[in-house]
Amino acid sequence: MTDLVATQGQARRRRLGSKLDFSRWLSWACFAFLGLVVVLALFGPLIAPRDPYAQDLALGLVKPSSEHWLGTDDLGRDVFSRVIAGTRTAVVGPVVIALGSMAIGNVLGVLAGYRGGRLDSTIMRWADLMFSLPSMLVIVVVAGTFGGGYWLSVGLLIALTAPFDARIIRGATIEQAPRPYVEAAKSVGLSDTRIMAMHVWPNVSPIAVANTCLVFASSLVSLAGLSFLGLGVSAGTPDWGLMVSEGRSLLFTNPVAVLAPATMIVLTATAMNLAGDWVYDRLSAQGAIR
Amino acid sequence: MGLSGIAYFIARRVLTLVVMLFVISVLIFSLLYLAPGNAVDILLGARPRTPETVKLLTEQYHLDEPFLAQYWIWLKGALHFDFGESIQTTLPVAHQIKERLPTSLLLAAYAFVLEMSFGLLFGILAARKRRTGVDRGIVAISVVGVSTPAFVSGVLMLFAFAVQLRWFPAFGAGEGFMDEVWHLTLPAISLAIVGTAYIVKHTRAAVISVLDQDYVTFARARGLSSVSVMLGYILRNSLISVLGLSAMILSFLVVGAVIVETTFSISGIGQLLVQAATSQDLPMIQGVGILVAAIVMIANLAADLAYLAFDPRIRLRSAK
Amino acid sequence: MSQPLSTQSGAIRGTSGGLNVQKLRIERVGPHGAHTIVSEISLKVEPGETVGIVGESGSGKSMTAKAITGLLPPAFVASGQAIYNGRDLLALREREWQSVRGREIGLVMQNPFTMLNPVVRCGKIIEQSLRRDVRKRMNRRERRSEAIRRLAEVGIDDESVVDRYPFQLSGGMRQRVGIAAALAREPQILIADEPSTALDVTTQREILALIKSLQVARGMGLILITHDLRIAFSMCDQVNVLYAGSLVEAGPAADLEAEPLHPYTHGLLLSEPPADRRVAELVAIPGSVPTPDSVAGSCTFAPRCGWVRPECTSGTPPLRIVGDGRMSGCVRIEEIRPELAAHRARAGGTAVPTGSPGRVNTLITVNDVRKIFQSGGRDVAALRSVSIHVGEGEGVGLVGESGSGKSTLGRIIAGLERLSSGSIEIAGIDASDRSKLSRKDQRSLRSSVQMIFQDPYSSLNPMRTIGSTLQETISAHDPSAKNVERLVAELLLSVGLDPEHAQRKPAALSGGQHQRVAIARALAVKPRVLICDEPVAALDVSVQAQILNLFSSLRDERGIGYLFITHDLSIVRQVVERAYVMCRGSIVESGPVDDVLGSPKDPYTVRLLESVPRSSDDWLNLGRS
Repeated sequence: MTDLVATQGQARRRRLGSKLDFSRWLSWACFAFLGLVVVLALFGPLIAPRDPYAQDLALGLVKPSSEHWLGTDDLGRDVFSRVIAGTRTAVVGPVVIALGSMAIGNVLGVLAGYRGGRLDSTIMRWADLMFSLPSMLVIVVVAGTFGGGYWLSVGLLIALTAPFDARIIRGATIEQAPRPYVEAAKSVGLSDTRIMAMHVWPNVSPIAVANTCLVFASSLVSLAGLSFLGLGVSAGTPDWGLMVSEGRSLLFTNPVAVLAPATMIVLTATAMNLAGDWVYDRLSAQGAIR
Repeated sequence: MGLSGIAYFIARRVLTLVVMLFVISVLIFSLLYLAPGNAVDILLGARPRTPETVKLLTEQYHLDEPFLAQYWIWLKGALHFDFGESIQTTLPVAHQIKERLPTSLLLAAYAFVLEMSFGLLFGILAARKRRTGVDRGIVAISVVGVSTPAFVSGVLMLFAFAVQLRWFPAFGAGEGFMDEVWHLTLPAISLAIVGTAYIVKHTRAAVISVLDQDYVTFARARGLSSVSVMLGYILRNSLISVLGLSAMILSFLVVGAVIVETTFSISGIGQLLVQAATSQDLPMIQGVGILVAAIVMIANLAADLAYLAFDPRIRLRSAK
Repeated sequence: MSQPLSTQSGAIRGTSGGLNVQKLRIERVGPHGAHTIVSEISLKVEPGETVGIVGESGSGKSMTAKAITGLLPPAFVASGQAIYNGRDLLALREREWQSVRGREIGLVMQNPFTMLNPVVRCGKIIEQSLRRDVRKRMNRRERRSEAIRRLAEVGIDDESVVDRYPFQLSGGMRQRVGIAAALAREPQILIADEPSTALDVTTQREILALIKSLQVARGMGLILITHDLRIAFSMCDQVNVLYAGSLVEAGPAADLEAEPLHPYTHGLLLSEPPADRRVAELVAIPGSVPTPDSVAGSCTFAPRCGWVRPECTSGTPPLRIVGDGRMSGCVRIEEIRPELAAHRARAGGTAVPTGSPGRVNTLITVNDVRKIFQSGGRDVAALRSVSIHVGEGEGVGLVGESGSGKSTLGRIIAGLERLSSGSIEIAGIDASDRSKLSRKDQRSLRSSVQMIFQDPYSSLNPMRTIGSTLQETISAHDPSAKNVERLVAELLLSVGLDPEHAQRKPAALSGGQHQRVAIARALAVKPRVLICDEPVAALDVSVQAQILNLFSSLRDERGIGYLFITHDLSIVRQVVERAYVMCRGSIVESGPVDDVLGSPKDPYTVRLLESVPRSSDDWLNLGRS
């Protein structure tokens, strides 16, 4: 009987061990891929074998070959180079959105959660309004009115995401604020600003950082979607969403022209989502969140 | 005390809804004035600008009245589903919406059913098989699912199932209800992917946290059967927290519908909105915008009420 | 097992044997290998017998209960044997467990607030717990009246409880519902895991008395798991003392109380402050409870034992018979037995008189303070006209149960809460509304009054090192302070910590050490009074005494006064001269502590005093008068 239990234990031990290896492998793969994306975004033009804008109407659409690794689109533009060039468009906007909305969201969230009162209820009413309106709906309506554009969408997404972030940070702050270490800091005479910045925020930061990653992933997808709808980047720009849209009619002849940018969107967003989870696990294991 | 408290709660929520809709309607109406260019020129669209057309539009849209009066007239119209005429087609906006709304609602309902059934199924499965290969597989797929926008999955599925394998129709609306559903299957799946992934993730987390609760241990300690612990304890309590996600899920459905309808060329109001947006057809944008906002808010209210019905803690505490 | 209810009660009970646990070992399996939770413990329970498992947190007592009921969380593995009715329970599969749990072995858990499904009505909880064949025979009305009958059995006469949700009931009521549910399938052995710890003192005794009377009436075997030796002595026939996952001593309750035969049990008994007299100094066990793995291959208590010899750490000492029914894990017990006895006589024998209050300058005056909270749109009065005063260097106790308003009063004095009306004067400054005061006045208030909180774990910022927390406090109090690091080291030394701790983060410290750091932080602003809100309630008994001793030595050295907020009368007896007793937001009795506790006038104080756990079994019987 004892043996049976012991072997059960060993089997369980093995399972947990393999889980650990797998997750370590996964996080390495995911950070390696994100590193690649960053390199492509920074040095894309230097790496791309051809000019992403150069058309070759005489060549037209060809399948992948040694000449054009991922083939060309109907205007004869090199798909591989366009995917690389599209990285910057794909990454810049989400980075700005994630950082911008988190900056606003963190400040407002910590203030609202710590101070409470009228500031808190104002911020929360704003968040409620935004919560009940799907952000894409707002963007499509506004883009339709003002003619669309990449940076308009980026600006709108910051404004629409910030209340969500503020709400999350506020929730985390409200959990920290009544804890004795905060009250003790008050009663030994530290200023509110110092308490918020040096005591509350560090304990909220795992959530903030993880959420920044999630916002990055979701705004990458949203921006690509807007480009797909023709409401984002202007026509002709190398952009993953736009490439999927343009490549739809080419599915029979060169499916890679769609698959390549589509894969990049999915992989980048997946890697960022995983990174967010990883960061959260890591930072919260340090004892910030119980 | 209970009943009047609940009535008070509902009344307050309905009032908030009305106020929010009012704010949104003001915002949407003022789009006409916020948009770059002159209101008359926007409403003219591609039509030639002659004194007659200008006069006609000014009269039709009461452009010579003060802003608030114009808003009032517009609001009265909107309450009777009169949003003016589309610039592109010159047909009444309400007419086009009415034609397309059923398709969109069917698509959304279809996707919702898929999301709920698969999301809950796999979420519970993953939580039950915690730390096994099954769990890891489901979690991995759901992370990819969350990161796969509807237009990507839509294009890929069109290519694979409609073009290559020819299992599903690529275009068209279908004749009769069943055929229509059949035609909407691929779009509904692609629309449901993101939502399903979210529900899986949250159901898994909710079930795991309920599994760790003392009351589950205590139920097992009393010898309750696994089935009754599963249904009465784990499922019921985790459903409550999944229900809290409904605003999120609804939002995914609306966003997704806009994209999916464009991807699959479905004549729904999402496609209508995108078409209007790309051609700056303002009356159409206003009409569809306010309608979708209203639908989303009412659905959210319904979800909140369902929450109230499910969770006695909220019901009885708010009743104080 | 499908006999009707009536025949089951008598016949089977008498014949069936008890539960026999042999060499139970529990491990937690993690990515970094297996960790021992419980190592090879054995115990027996016969029908009608009460067996206590006593241990502090981390001793593995709750996991033992879970292992015996097959409810170990994932990643925990039990080995060994638990023989019941000729079957080894540990080898059962989940499906087989379902016929054992509830009907053979019942379990009552510690926290009534989380034990009941929040979305199910109490009546339904009882109905679900009935045996399937019993339940199936009844219709709706019968099931309801059965639930009412079951609730009446545990002392709930209010029929409307069946229609209420658990969150609408008080903690004591919930625990009663829990007990009724646990007994619904007529188990022959009941395991009660700290059934009264989460409850108020007066409720605690009622619940324990209820469990005891149900056990006697039903002839059940009872395993009572508790951290409180006094409760174990009053309830149990046999007591097993668990320390760091190992049994260190076992024996009949009365014998064990008269003469513990292990240095740990001995120390635990002495560190329990007596409620009826003040002792010169509490005997504290140094250090804190280790993890089982860190003391593997040695006597688990060796690192904290005053009688340790090389032979103690040369191998795991087995539990051996040392007398009539007595077992001890101490290898030197025969040798040190007289020494332990002498030690006990010295420590507990003489009561010292409580220092007379004398004339002292009043430092804090609270005059007619009221506090009203808004809760769900209603006004709830937390304090109704309370007046107290605390003198310079005086120890004052504020005693009451949860909801009495004692913490609110402390927080108002510390400036963490505003009062609704009334006035507070601290060191000559009107502190009724702190926001109106000048910076200088606020500063001098801070250096008059500081607060120590109940939960040691959350009173330190988990993201910062101990040193940076203290440095920050020192600089905030005196921006011109030089040599801050030396001051930090001095502070740590003054609370009995190694200055090396400054480099560590709170997660690396134990609960007692957390509380020491929190005291050091308060001392950094050189306060004249410390408001201590249940400062030792979250700590293990052996550590409690250390902190209480620290408080009294600080008082001797620095002349600091205390406002000691607690529910525990034995602690009040040890540390203060004057006491206020609070009940429902009012002060019902006050005076020198010897008068208040020695000859209480108010019925509430009398009830509180009766509720303090005592070893004698008449403690429980008093509950029914």
